[in-house]
Amino acid sequence: MRGMSRWLLAMAVCGFPFLKPAAQDCPARPNSGTVVADPFSISSQNGAITAQFTLGHSVDSAGYTHYCYKYRAPTQVVEAPTLRVNPGDVINLNVVDQIVADNSMKMDMAPPPGPPCGDGGAATINSTNVHFHGMNVPPVCHQDDVINTLIQPGSPGFQFNVHVPTTQPPGLYWYHPHVHGFTEFQVNGGAAGAIVVNGMEKVRPEVAGLTERVFVIRQQYLVPWIPGPYQLTLNYQTSFLAQFPVIDMKPGEKQFWRVANATLQDFLELQVQVNGVAVPLEMIALDGYPLAQTRNQNTILVPPAGRAEFIVQAPTSGSAIFVTNAYSTGPTGNADLATTLATIKTTNTAASSHMPESAPPTADGVKFLNFALQPATTQRKLYFSEEFGGTNGPIQFYITVDGQKQKVFEPNEQPVITTKVGAIEDWTIENRALETHAFHIHQIHFRVLEVDGKPAPNTDLRDTIEIPFWEGKGPYHSVKLRMDFSDPTTAGTFLFHCHILLHEDLGMMHKILVTP
Amino acid sequence: MKKFLESRFLRLLVLVLGIFATSDLALAQTHYILTNDDLAYPFLTGVGFFTVGTNGLPVFKQQVHTGTFGIGGGYFGMNRLAVLDSGTQQCVFASEALNGFIAGIDVSTLTVGGTTTGSSTDSGTANGIGLVMNGSYLYASFSSSNTIGTFAVQPGCSLTFIGDTSVIGLQAGIINGMAIHGSMLVTSYTDGSIESFNISGGTPVSNGDEQISTATVNSADATYVNAIDITKDGHYAIFGDTSTALSVEVSDISSGKLARTTVYKSTASINSSNIILSPDETILYVVNTQGATVSALFFNKSTGKLSAGCTSGPLAGLSQNWSYLAGITLMSQTGNGGGVYVAEFGTVSGIATVPLSLSGQKCSLQEATGSPTIDPNTPGVLSIGSFPPRSF
Repeated sequence: MRGMSRWLLAMAVCGFPFLKPAAQDCPARPNSGTVVADPFSISSQNGAITAQFTLGHSVDSAGYTHYCYKYRAPTQVVEAPTLRVNPGDVINLNVVDQIVADNSMKMDMAPPPGPPCGDGGAATINSTNVHFHGMNVPPVCHQDDVINTLIQPGSPGFQFNVHVPTTQPPGLYWYHPHVHGFTEFQVNGGAAGAIVVNGMEKVRPEVAGLTERVFVIRQQYLVPWIPGPYQLTLNYQTSFLAQFPVIDMKPGEKQFWRVANATLQDFLELQVQVNGVAVPLEMIALDGYPLAQTRNQNTILVPPAGRAEFIVQAPTSGSAIFVTNAYSTGPTGNADLATTLATIKTTNTAASSHMPESAPPTADGVKFLNFALQPATTQRKLYFSEEFGGTNGPIQFYITVDGQKQKVFEPNEQPVITTKVGAIEDWTIENRALETHAFHIHQIHFRVLEVDGKPAPNTDLRDTIEIPFWEGKGPYHSVKLRMDFSDPTTAGTFLFHCHILLHEDLGMMHKILVTP
Repeated sequence: MKKFLESRFLRLLVLVLGIFATSDLALAQTHYILTNDDLAYPFLTGVGFFTVGTNGLPVFKQQVHTGTFGIGGGYFGMNRLAVLDSGTQQCVFASEALNGFIAGIDVSTLTVGGTTTGSSTDSGTANGIGLVMNGSYLYASFSSSNTIGTFAVQPGCSLTFIGDTSVIGLQAGIINGMAIHGSMLVTSYTDGSIESFNISGGTPVSNGDEQISTATVNSADATYVNAIDITKDGHYAIFGDTSTALSVEVSDISSGKLARTTVYKSTASINSSNIILSPDETILYVVNTQGATVSALFFNKSTGKLSAGCTSGPLAGLSQNWSYLAGITLMSQTGNGGGVYVAEFGTVSGIATVPLSLSGQKCSLQEATGSPTIDPNTPGVLSIGSFPPRSF
């Protein structure tokens, strides 16, 4: 951690060499004020997706650094395509790191602790790997291990073979780099894309026949760790002055929107507004998991890394806007500003795009469906906390198991929690900081049991959840979450952390070991 | 007649002396609360002068522009103000971090006597420039260049730069807090290191006692020293820690070097980046930077031991107006200090007034009605001070 502080300081003192002109590796991004296109989709064929992503790097004319997953589609190179799979499929993804190493940037982190997976070596700003966020897949090399997996620039590449469980809930997931200390840089640059597990219409027939839209909301800072102006983008399209991205819908049409919050730290408070009034949105799924029942909400809060899937109805005439409201993250949090994400224009010529036919449901059902009914075998309490030595730092970000010493994550640390396959645990997580945090655990979903000590109004299954900041008086805000480690595929070591990526990079993260 | 004349003369004499005494007394006793406004470019920064109202609350008097720019933030433990009340001159020195200037303000006229810079490499643009002084020298800690600049105090509240001393924590930390007593200068670094220097010759020379503080060692880097104060007799140095708890450390410096610190820790609040001893050294006031509270601990100046005291309720305006509590100064320069003024850093910066009530070994701190006093000139108050200063 101390080294990291020095590193950040050195960066501040030495300048930002990665802002120097780079090879323009990334595809051009859409112009402001144009119609928003869905990401290019790659659908599984015969039970598998086989694809190659090449991680590239550019700096645009406004000075924003782009990191891009490039995929060679039949007619052009596209950025961060959506991966569409059925439960039981395999994602065979070859990832090549084509970032040109910048020797003026010699800072690096220690090599991963375990047996190397991939190229090994030290983690640097040019190293990469991939986290399949929300997917209930094993934390092992070539699947969803981010502790030991490193792909280095110039190497032949690394092959992921991710086995999507037959019980994987149908819904929206996403992929992004997860190299400790550097996650923020590459996600800030746009290296993130959607994964759709097919079959939502089988579980929530409300969406059958509707036009489906996939929206990935990203965030870009000029310098990601310095609070300041940022842009939110919708499928890579920025707003410029009053030129907002345009979403076309037929008058009165219902569409099924699948929205991923791929921002660094923005808590999205989403609304669709007609004449300035928020209209009901029919919630279908959160974090890839279909809700037990749909529910209407005018506002949907999606923390960083969360996903929301909902039905939107266009006005019968005129236009509407898709917005995120201002959201207070607390006295020491960064301001999340109100932003118009898109203008919704009604036109009879709006295109339709239906979901691809999904595979028949398996007999295995959907994972995690009934585990909340089982008694918890273990209770744990964890808490977020922070300490600031000044307004600009040095800052320490902690997530701590109550009773243990506060410490920031180190790649070679021992797991702070050890449990075993079959365990059902209740974790109470408090936020003792003056800043809202977003708790995320890899490999599993959890069920929200309580909020602030009271039964949760919606006991949804999530993989990321917000815990509001402490107001300086009264009890800390908290959530109580039920964790299901009953699936043998959870065996291994994986991570839980705050999904504000700066916090994660600075060590608000730890390991959990699930023994077989 | 003679009696009359004598009487008139005596009356006149008494009157003249009275006027003199009154004006002199009035000047000497003008109690100012000071703010380093730390305004960032393009706004010219300055020092805010507040008088003290009858209810004890600061009342804004005027801002003295220093002609340069601040940076609007930085380390909590750095005091960006130093006050001189030497009998021959009364000055307030303020650091302006963007340009590396140190401005001296004559308190009697509230005008700038001079501005000075250190060497061409001295810089505090990252996290500010801290100041401490005695009657002869002013020491400036530059957070970007990691140097201590030594300046000789000159008439007219001006300074002359003498030289630089490069410093660094044992884990490459940046200089943060400073305190001075006699020939000893004590420093803290952002990596948890502490160090003392001999300043008998003016320029600091390390005493060779640099060490990682006990709290930092015990917590595996999860706590580190920030602001510093030293007892009147120079026996103990006290450190306020940056921590997720209330944490204070005491080091015996009577040997002329820092001894291993003793840690006093409490869950009464969060973070303790700024501290100040009461004039009678019975109370250590602690700013709970992220706990939105102020604590008072009982201090035994003979043994250097601290014991539990009291903690205020949350100060008004957190989140709506301000984000952090920062600098601290005493309400009174006598006795137990009577409470403290605390800087509030945020979009609406201000000064909180928190009087102390004491009954035997029980105390209470409660924010005064009408507090905080808004500083109309800045959103960036980190450092505050008092004129006249505490006597040690």
